[in-house]
Amino acid sequence: MEAPAIRIHSLVKDFRIGLRGWKLRAVDDVSLDIHDNEVYGLLGPNGCGKSTTMKVVLGLLEPTVGGCEIYGVPSSQVKSRLNVGFLPEAPYFYRYLTGRELLKFYAKVCSVEPGKIKPRVTEVLEMVGLTEAADRRVGTYSKGMLQRIGIAQAIVHDPKLIILDEPTAGVDPIGSAAIADLIRALKAQGKTILLCSHLLAQVEGVCDRVAIMDRGKVVLEGKVDDLLSKHDQQSLLVDTFPEAARADVEAALAKHGAKLTGVTTPRISLDDLFLKHTGKGGPKQS
Amino acid sequence: MNGICHRILTIGRNTFLDAVRQKFFNALVILSVALIVSSRFFRQFDFGSGELKFIADFGLGAILLFGSILAVVATAQLFYSEIENRTALTILAKPVHRWEFLAGKFLGVFLLLAVFTALMAGILGIMLYWRESSLMDRYGDQFGGQRLVSYAGLAGFAVLQWLKLGVLCAITLFVSSFSNTNLYSVVVSFFVMIICQLQYIARDSWESIGNPALKGLVWGLSLLFPNFQMFNVGDVMLFPHDATEQLSAGTPWMIGGYGVVYIFVFVGLAVFAFRRREI
Repeated sequence: MEAPAIRIHSLVKDFRIGLRGWKLRAVDDVSLDIHDNEVYGLLGPNGCGKSTTMKVVLGLLEPTVGGCEIYGVPSSQVKSRLNVGFLPEAPYFYRYLTGRELLKFYAKVCSVEPGKIKPRVTEVLEMVGLTEAADRRVGTYSKGMLQRIGIAQAIVHDPKLIILDEPTAGVDPIGSAAIADLIRALKAQGKTILLCSHLLAQVEGVCDRVAIMDRGKVVLEGKVDDLLSKHDQQSLLVDTFPEAARADVEAALAKHGAKLTGVTTPRISLDDLFLKHTGKGGPKQS
Repeated sequence: MNGICHRILTIGRNTFLDAVRQKFFNALVILSVALIVSSRFFRQFDFGSGELKFIADFGLGAILLFGSILAVVATAQLFYSEIENRTALTILAKPVHRWEFLAGKFLGVFLLLAVFTALMAGILGIMLYWRESSLMDRYGDQFGGQRLVSYAGLAGFAVLQWLKLGVLCAITLFVSSFSNTNLYSVVVSFFVMIICQLQYIARDSWESIGNPALKGLVWGLSLLFPNFQMFNVGDVMLFPHDATEQLSAGTPWMIGGYGVVYIFVFVGLAVFAFRRREI
């Protein structure tokens, strides 16, 4: 059986703070399996341990107890990161480089073959929608463009696993929608994506499974559809619903032992409304 | 192995480009050039040495002073900017060893110091050659038909200064690898530099210490801190005809080797301290 993309087992991470060495437990006995070609959301409020968990996965922090493997390789080994791309929270890049130069730098760091660097950089720039800004200095990029060039540097070496820390934080709805589309496109290419966010509505549409963390512990985990659907209730969508029809429906339902609990007008989200009226997209299908 | 070298060179090149784009480096270069060139106009002050010696002392002093500032501040700044701006995260999250990252940072600053030292030594050489030529035209008989300044010696001395600044860069990298602030790294590195400059006093007193424990402690400390006085051979290398003692052919190589050993030791210590640092 193939190893999962990420396996975290009984992970505990303590930080020592102050001269007396008080321990702050940032991650408390977390175990997760993230499968190949899955978009997995690690959600929770600020300070709940999401970023610490990610850093342990990336080998940037050493676990106090437990461990983590990427495609079966312990994350403490550098070779575990051969197939990993990472976008940190609020990324800042070398301002004096152009977008193209920046991607070339990261491609070289990742030991991409010299002959493949140029076409790959062009391909990735196109994928993240930065072709026109490719030869502009990164210092002139907007927040949304910085996030996109950040994703580009994470995927420039064509990794199987992409880890995104707060990819939509501080980005406007248009930028968030573009990043969400990019995540879907990466999944379609067969990539596995772990994303970490406290902006729950923004990740809802892209995640297959989520784990919600609070105070270092995973308090809920499962498929998004399973967690969000009310399986004991159904809804009907009708164009017009006169009072007489409502009475008939209630009578029909009563005959089957069911009950109409409410009639509401469907709403689109404020994000969708914004996108529709700024000409950047229509309402998403739910 | 090829991949490792490639990654270190890539990080080093980027660090170098980052450094030369900083206003601090450009300001320091302009200040150093101005100081070396201005030595020509200070010749009316008589410090008891010949004019050429004065120009050489002034120029070498400028290289040492500004080179030391550059070695400490640039190393600390370029290291912390990577940590504070989280660019280190994007690099270390890739298949890059921490020691490769540190070696790349060191290489970038070492290259910067090479450019700085070569530029300053070049300007100093031009100043000396120009002045020496005009003095030879005017007082040719006092020169006995040969030049007083050894320009090959100047080039050799510039390489030794570069290695000395490299040791200072490696010390700063070591301090930065465990300290939490840029300021702390800069201050501690300058203190260490002063200790290294004055270390010969401890070496001299070592001979006269009777207590074996104290003698051992002083001996250990003298090994821990490199002796920067060893690199002060500018007069002998630039003016071999005036020097009372001559350097043997192997001495500059020995001094260079001494610098290289300390560079490896301090970069090694930096790698050790940085390997488990939480970033």
